[in-house]
Amino acid sequence: MDFFKKSLDPIVALAIIAVFDIFLFQIVGAWTVGGGETMIAGLFVKALIGAKEMNRIPFWRMVFKPTWAYWKIYISLGMGFGALVSAILSKEFYWRVPKHLSEWVMITIGGLLMGIGIRLSFVCNVSTFLGLTPEMNLGGYLAVSGLVIGAWVGTWVYKKILEA
Amino acid sequence: MITVDGQCLAAFVFGTTVGVLVQRSRWCNTAALRDAMLFKSYRNTKALLVAMMILTVGFTAMISFGNGNPMRFDVGINQFIGLFLFGIGMVFAGACTVSSWVKTGEGNIGALWALLFLIVGLFLSSLMWSFTYWPLAGQTMTGRPNAAGLQFGWADALTLQRDTGVPAVVFGIIQAAALYALYRRILKRERATQGEGKTASAPAPTPVAPAAPALAKIATEQALGAPAALPTLGE
Repeated sequence: MDFFKKSLDPIVALAIIAVFDIFLFQIVGAWTVGGGETMIAGLFVKALIGAKEMNRIPFWRMVFKPTWAYWKIYISLGMGFGALVSAILSKEFYWRVPKHLSEWVMITIGGLLMGIGIRLSFVCNVSTFLGLTPEMNLGGYLAVSGLVIGAWVGTWVYKKILEA
Repeated sequence: MITVDGQCLAAFVFGTTVGVLVQRSRWCNTAALRDAMLFKSYRNTKALLVAMMILTVGFTAMISFGNGNPMRFDVGINQFIGLFLFGIGMVFAGACTVSSWVKTGEGNIGALWALLFLIVGLFLSSLMWSFTYWPLAGQTMTGRPNAAGLQFGWADALTLQRDTGVPAVVFGIIQAAALYALYRRILKRERATQGEGKTASAPAPTPVAPAAPALAKIATEQALGAPAALPTLGE
């Protein structure tokens, strides 16, 4: 199939996604990833420590009770599945492993910061740019400001590390 | 009313479509911000703006007719602080929430590692959650301003329509026009940069010190018109 032989213009890709997202908005809600990842975190830890221990933690008892019947989980799983199928069909699937310790350290710190950020704000980058802001929620504007400033600080630090 | 199974199925179909399209286009939200700041490269930024324009008009039009499922979400300082931390994290990890799933699907172990530690960060910070005090939720997110919880209440296109009597789509079109103005400005800047590239007789100078080989290599690729990307997540 030709589609899997050449790359797609990201403007076309995001425009198609946006149109689909409007349908999703009508059915369940706008595209989001942070909510699904929060629930996946809950399910993951629940599998490790058990339901009884999990229930002792207020956040998981009162705000995000771990359940598989939560639609946002399936957006994340779908993205991974879609990318896997697409990568196989386009012969772009292969194992990529970071070569340097510094990369592992940066990815670890980055992952932790993203997790803490999602938990604190209840939103992720997708909800910020493609959920809250298009819904004109003032929180979206605050989140965009925070994200842009954070990305600027992160880029500055990253640049210094690369230069060093 | 759609069943829970139907919701999950719709979400999975949508997610799969996103996974395919993002994998084929190499779109990344991190690159949309980082590359614009570091290299003045706007390939991903333009796509983000186009999606935001379509969604703004689409969502507000649906809200105007009483359709859709907007998030009933309180505005709070936590959103600024949380996304500030997230912004630093996504540049460090070299992936946002979308690209970490997509790259994991492509076999990127670094992206899987980022997801794993995102889960660890989420869980550890969930242990600090309080029902009554910031950082938040529960009693602090009531839809009304709450100074103690650093919350400003709920305000979006729906509340704007309710309070002013003007259809939400009118405000949506104004916001989309502002986004389009930003998009046009980026196009203008790109044309100016391309014009400079054509008139220059010598090869474009690299905007970084020789002591930075990684950045110098990327900047040279930029000058030659190659797509911008930092070597992150083992790529």
